[in-house]
Amino acid sequence: MGFTPFACEVHHPQHVPRLTGTQPLYPMSKKIPLHISNDRAYIWDAEDARNIRENHHITGALVGTLPSVAQQNVFLGLPLLLMPEEAVYLVEKGVAVMLDDAHAHHLPTSEEVDQWREDVRTDRENRLQAQAAARKAKEQKTEKNLSEAALRKRREREEKKTAKLLAAASADRDGNELLTPGDNDPQTPPATRSGARDETGHTIIIPATASDHPWFQPQIYETVQEAKEAGIWSCPSTPLERAKCAVFKDLIQKGYFLGGGMKFGGDWLVYPGDQLRYHSHFVATVLATPLSKMNPMEIVAHGRLGTGTKKAHLICGWDEEQQHVDYYSIEWANFG
Amino acid sequence: MESHPTYKGVQAICQKYPKLAGSFFQVYNDILLSQGWKDVKVIDVEQVGRAVIYGKRKADEPELVVVPCALSESISIEWFNSIFKNLSPEPSEIYVAITSEDSSNVYYKISKGIVKPPV
Repeated sequence: MGFTPFACEVHHPQHVPRLTGTQPLYPMSKKIPLHISNDRAYIWDAEDARNIRENHHITGALVGTLPSVAQQNVFLGLPLLLMPEEAVYLVEKGVAVMLDDAHAHHLPTSEEVDQWREDVRTDRENRLQAQAAARKAKEQKTEKNLSEAALRKRREREEKKTAKLLAAASADRDGNELLTPGDNDPQTPPATRSGARDETGHTIIIPATASDHPWFQPQIYETVQEAKEAGIWSCPSTPLERAKCAVFKDLIQKGYFLGGGMKFGGDWLVYPGDQLRYHSHFVATVLATPLSKMNPMEIVAHGRLGTGTKKAHLICGWDEEQQHVDYYSIEWANFG
Repeated sequence: MESHPTYKGVQAICQKYPKLAGSFFQVYNDILLSQGWKDVKVIDVEQVGRAVIYGKRKADEPELVVVPCALSESISIEWFNSIFKNLSPEPSEIYVAITSEDSSNVYYKISKGIVKPPV
């Protein structure tokens, strides 16, 4: 598969320098953090999104804009929005915890801000040095292949460019003050400074998750019940929601992948494997109890739509007493 | 309805389940005369409170079971559970014949369990 759904311009947090001397963000349980905001569960880390997909059959839905192609919504990026049943499943399984995201963003102290600026600066300098070294290595490599005359012409061109940029750079100085207060040192030899600007752009790394900042201090809930009691999460709170969570778990444990069913008039689309590789065979609808009423017209509607799209409709009935799911598959009979 | 030539054969059933008689008779005639099934049998399933129709689409095909149901009825998972349980031998699938007052019948196959649609 050439297409990676999580490829995006936002860099993995490991590229941001680790801040020392701050307390660890999460208790070292290594559970996946679900950022809860407005009763919805989001995953902001690409590795976590991949982990739940590969190891737990949970796909979620990407709902973020891709920074490099913002004017379209066919390909979306992080965050990953989970269905309530997916979030409940992961927390009950013990692989994820819920964070109260809305109240986790505190104001940084001035020391934390200074440290942050310092780290950004150091990172940028390291980056520029690495780029300069790489560039030099490349130049040395190409110089070996060029003739004397060609080399001379090249150097003359470069010097002209440098001189031009030098003139532009002195006018440009004020723009960078906020990020690098120490950079406007007039002692810095102009050649190296503008030389660095000349060949290489300056990359600003935006961390994908707030969790890299020491001022992000979330309240963490290890169980669904605790999150509900704290008032940040509500599912499941009705018999139908309970039924949906139970049926969801049953289908996942049977090895299916589940996606949203709105496009086909059901609760979920049921895939025999990863959505990127398979078409779904079923549209599933959940009934809260064995006695919950359906009318025959629904059978007609579900059955007809399913058959027209090479799927069957799956009616899932949750029996709370027996702790058991009854499944019935509906298809048009092809006669009559 | 009573003057219809096929009525005599199912009169007992229609009188036993009067509320379902219209829908049942409609499906019975459709299967017998219009679809032209072979070896058509009517079986009374008291535990479910209705009669079902067995038959074969063609003489050499397997026997299928059709359960008539009016559009106005209410059904549930328990309804399906009960039908499957009380038919003998217990089938892996049934055909629900949904009838409407304008004499349309539509047939839908209900399979027990997670059964993939044909490719």
